[in-house]
Amino acid sequence: MNLFISKDDLIRWLELLLRERIIIAPIRVQGQTMFQPISKVEEIMFDFDNTALSSKGWFLPPTETLFSVRRDDGQIKLMPATVERDAIIFGIRPCDARGIALMDGPFLQVPSDTLYQERRNRTTIIGLACRQAQPECFCTSMGSAPDDPSHVDILLTEVKDGYIVQVVTEKGKALLPKGWAKYKRKMPTPPQLKTVPTKGIVSAIREFFNDPYWERLADRCLHCNICAYVCPTCYCFDVRDYPDKGKVERVRSWESCQSPGFSLTAGGYDPRTTKGERLRQRFYHKLLYFPERFQEVACVGCGRCGKACPVNIDIREVISDLHQLAEAKSGS
Amino acid sequence: MSAGYQPKVIGFLCNWCSYAGADMAGTSRMCYPQNIRIIRVPCSGRVDPLFVLKCFQRGADGVLVSGCHPGDCHYTEGNYHTRRRFALLREFLDYLGIEKERLRVEWVSASEGQRFAELVADFTTELARLGPRS
Amino acid sequence: MDMELIQQIRGKARSLLEEGTVEGVIGYERAGDGVTSRPLFAYDSSAAERLIFDDTCTHNLVKYLLGKRGKKMAVMVKPCDSRAINLLLNERQIDRDKVFIIGVGCPGVVETEWNHKSETLQARCRSCLLTKPLVYDVLLGRELARKAEEETYSDILEAEAESVVSRREFWREQFSRCIRCYACRQVCPGCYCPVCFAEQLEPLWVGIRIAPEENTLWQTIRTFHLAGRCIGCNECERVCPVDIPLSLLNRKLEKDVKELFAFQAGLDPEEPPPFATFRKEEMPELGE
Repeated sequence: MNLFISKDDLIRWLELLLRERIIIAPIRVQGQTMFQPISKVEEIMFDFDNTALSSKGWFLPPTETLFSVRRDDGQIKLMPATVERDAIIFGIRPCDARGIALMDGPFLQVPSDTLYQERRNRTTIIGLACRQAQPECFCTSMGSAPDDPSHVDILLTEVKDGYIVQVVTEKGKALLPKGWAKYKRKMPTPPQLKTVPTKGIVSAIREFFNDPYWERLADRCLHCNICAYVCPTCYCFDVRDYPDKGKVERVRSWESCQSPGFSLTAGGYDPRTTKGERLRQRFYHKLLYFPERFQEVACVGCGRCGKACPVNIDIREVISDLHQLAEAKSGS
Repeated sequence: MSAGYQPKVIGFLCNWCSYAGADMAGTSRMCYPQNIRIIRVPCSGRVDPLFVLKCFQRGADGVLVSGCHPGDCHYTEGNYHTRRRFALLREFLDYLGIEKERLRVEWVSASEGQRFAELVADFTTELARLGPRS
Repeated sequence: MDMELIQQIRGKARSLLEEGTVEGVIGYERAGDGVTSRPLFAYDSSAAERLIFDDTCTHNLVKYLLGKRGKKMAVMVKPCDSRAINLLLNERQIDRDKVFIIGVGCPGVVETEWNHKSETLQARCRSCLLTKPLVYDVLLGRELARKAEEETYSDILEAEAESVVSRREFWREQFSRCIRCYACRQVCPGCYCPVCFAEQLEPLWVGIRIAPEENTLWQTIRTFHLAGRCIGCNECERVCPVDIPLSLLNRKLEKDVKELFAFQAGLDPEEPPPFATFRKEEMPELGE
């Protein structure tokens, strides 16, 4: 069932919701669009391409304390971190929403990550369908679409004078006030996207583990962490204990397979020392290891990595290169 | 400035001159503020700007780097390097929002116990005037 | 695009590769977006045909020499990038005999981002007074008569005139956006420590927290390590995914180093850098 809401009513509704919940929405920060908790509904950007960083940071923050341990009167007390308030992510694009669904794989499998689980339970996702495709977009090649409602609780689609409201889940329904008008007209046509030949990529990549392709590609790679940090599905992290005045905190922060210490083991052995091995890991994880365990390719086609990479390493190009390698191999 | 505010000062003193100078102040029973916590280093040239930044990060209100007078360095020229390094760092910290007055570079010889005591008193007063770092 | 220059570059690269003078040529090719450019490592003459040069070629390719130590490589070097060569020679990081420098005359590079090229020259180019690379084995393209204006550091002077409190607020906000992707470090030709202080575990100088305190420590020390060493290619600012104005830090130090020690990095491969030397009679005000 689709409903219709005018822009004014949408703002009033969000104002009501903001009284009881944290709202995370795209806002303008120093010339960039970023997902951040808002203090006023006016801050929200309704018209934006996509955010510089994905929205994964709400569920897997760049840094968070998992628990702290304190000594009190000779007793050792363990204090797990908790999620204080209900939240709404507003304005998430369908590709990013799918990214969250993919992260659920590793984080919610038993035993689940409690903090992630709690944030997930207490957050309602309101998506915003894309009315325009950007040159970096290829979500349709990755199993999603600009108007895909599959991974949100409510999907809004902008039309003249307001928004079409698709209520997808019970969680979404619970947020809605009564009395909104039904939307009876046809849904607008979503934008068309260029396609990337992803079919068969999982089996294709398997053949090229030792191919010199990776070292060549890695020649220009800087091994910064930009691709991993802008990616909606990269979820690697590092954990460390911080002692501080009678208290120890266990902290988790983002980490990336491109950084030098990532695969270094105790004793000094590093299974991935060359540039090519490190870069290959990124694509093997996305295109082979993740699908082997969770049945889906760990890329949603948001195009952020290719856009943000300082030396233009683009997963679309890697995918088509691998297909070419496979063709050349079968042809020979 | 809050009434009971006591600035925290970290002092990096070189082993050969300034640490001995501080020792002289102590053995001569001179009074100076207790706000300073002293860390002995082989030479003021050993003090990495990272040490200073780490002090500020962990809540120090002021940092003193002190070595032998120019020309007197036990290692001949360590303090000349110190001088260059911290002349630049002071400007840079000020630019980033940590007042340059919070980082002092001073030369104190082994015989200058009195000078050391006065220096710490003066620095502490200055830091109290600046107030806590926000 | 200056096709004549590009043909010269391709020809030179081809002959270097075919004659076996070098193992590879580091240059530029058109990026996947069809608009901007990206680094290219050409190991054979067919790859050399992809080499280009135009006003989108912003990358400082000298960085890549550090990863190819011991191999004989050719590298395309703009006048500004040549300062990085001098820096690395000065610090004994590269072997002059192993590097073949293809100097290119540069009309300046424009602001670019993925799939987009502006018409505006980068700020660093507007104040670049170099008409040709300072060091090269072959110079291709024209030596340019420039209309650049000398760097005045007007934005730095403005910031210095502000109160220390407002500067503190400004940088706190800027550093709070840092996500510690280390792209600034990875792209910098002056950053090559085998273990960066940020990744050192014993002692742990900078924690893993991506939080204002740690970010500030990271950015402050990173820039300070480049004091008297930064050659102003501004790659760090270009690659920053959250647009932190890093040139305001690097240029502040550049300005102070000029004022205090009359030194500019990368101009001379033999002149001792400011922190490796001193004059006995200087800065009498400090410490007395």
